[in-house]
Amino acid sequence: MDNSGRKVDFGFEKVAWGDKAGRVRSVFASVAGKYDVMNDLMSLGVHRLWKQFALSLTGLRPGRSALDVAGGTGDLALGMLRQVGRSGRVVLSDVNPAMLEIGRDRLLDKGWVGNVECIVADAERLPFEDDSFDCVTIGFGLRNVTDKPAALKSMHRVLKPGGQLLVLEFSTPVAPGLKPIYDAYSFKVLPLLGRLVAQDEASYRYLAESIRMHPNQETLLEMLRTAGFAQTRYHNLTGGIVAVHRGYKI
Amino acid sequence: MPATAAWLASAEALLNRCIDSSAQALGTARRLQGTSVQIDIEGIARIRASAHQGRLVLLAGDDSAADAVISGSPAALLQLFRGGANREPGAPAAQIRGDAETANRYRELFMLARPDPEEELSRWIGDLPARRVSLFARRALELARQARRTAGENIAEYLQEEGRDLVNRTELEEFLHGVDSLRETADRIEARLVRLEQRLKGAV
Repeated sequence: MDNSGRKVDFGFEKVAWGDKAGRVRSVFASVAGKYDVMNDLMSLGVHRLWKQFALSLTGLRPGRSALDVAGGTGDLALGMLRQVGRSGRVVLSDVNPAMLEIGRDRLLDKGWVGNVECIVADAERLPFEDDSFDCVTIGFGLRNVTDKPAALKSMHRVLKPGGQLLVLEFSTPVAPGLKPIYDAYSFKVLPLLGRLVAQDEASYRYLAESIRMHPNQETLLEMLRTAGFAQTRYHNLTGGIVAVHRGYKI
Repeated sequence: MPATAAWLASAEALLNRCIDSSAQALGTARRLQGTSVQIDIEGIARIRASAHQGRLVLLAGDDSAADAVISGSPAALLQLFRGGANREPGAPAAQIRGDAETANRYRELFMLARPDPEEELSRWIGDLPARRVSLFARRALELARQARRTAGENIAEYLQEEGRDLVNRTELEEFLHGVDSLRETADRIEARLVRLEQRLKGAV
């Protein structure tokens, strides 16, 4: 499909279809070194609970295989490695080499070698055979993907029949009264934290904007169905600030 | 489709983990393929449980027809799913409507997939601390049960022996025995009086 004339969201900005991936890559290359610290600061540590919840849904057992797409610094991959054990296999993939390097070093530092692979890969064109994994996760990565339907189809393709996709992503707050507080926090506090800690206000402004442009819970659920997933559901966390979407390949 | 509550997803994940680790539970789940049961926890939630490819799926807010409906208070449902066929007299009972065979199979599945708290805790804090916490919890529970039993006995003894507000079992049995004797005596006197009256009427 020719996308030369198409525009796509990059935060609140519209950019050429082909430019988004490069700009996202430069955002994450810029924040990679402070990514984990900033996650803890921005979410006051709650991101660990969100990830723990997502991990509790994987259904992985020792010996099984999992893929963490856009896995960055490897939080989910590390949790899944503990679930599949030494006899299982986990692949950590990210389009950004800087982030992946941090993730790979972290897994090595924790003693995970041999059954873990780190691969630079585009979520829209995953370089794996069909029916390869029991579980595929993408944590806080889907909103940065240019062609989300293509990425979902690609993840569906690499899942084994009966395998599960888990999408952990920022979403639309549903708790009454939460939205104005959340907006104020996102657009005032996050860029300020970015400036003070990571010396990069623009990247954290992009973070807040990209969350607003990401499909809401119901839209993403429909996208999962369109990509071929069955038994699709979602769970709101922290009043809908984050949602876990899940679907199975039948 | 409304969002599924996070606690329900966690419960589902927990049960599926237990199903995965038991061949018998996995077999039961596979036999239930394509069926569903609605669980009405009175005043709390309505949950739809269904089985797909050996996996249990729990949903809230699905009102389509289920093969069977199990309803009752939380205590009654807990008793049912813990396998308590012999409930205590007066204890609340769960109700089953629809296909009783399917409902019973789901009951079996929930019993087989009952999580082991020590095992679950060990996933978070490790085997040894989980074992110690489990032993401590068991001792604390036993102590609480013993304290409740002793307190009950002490209160009963005070009310019966010292306060004399209540009678003890022996006194109560003696009293009831006396009432029975008195009633029998009264019955005998009544019968004798009736006979005397009949004899007097005969003499006149």
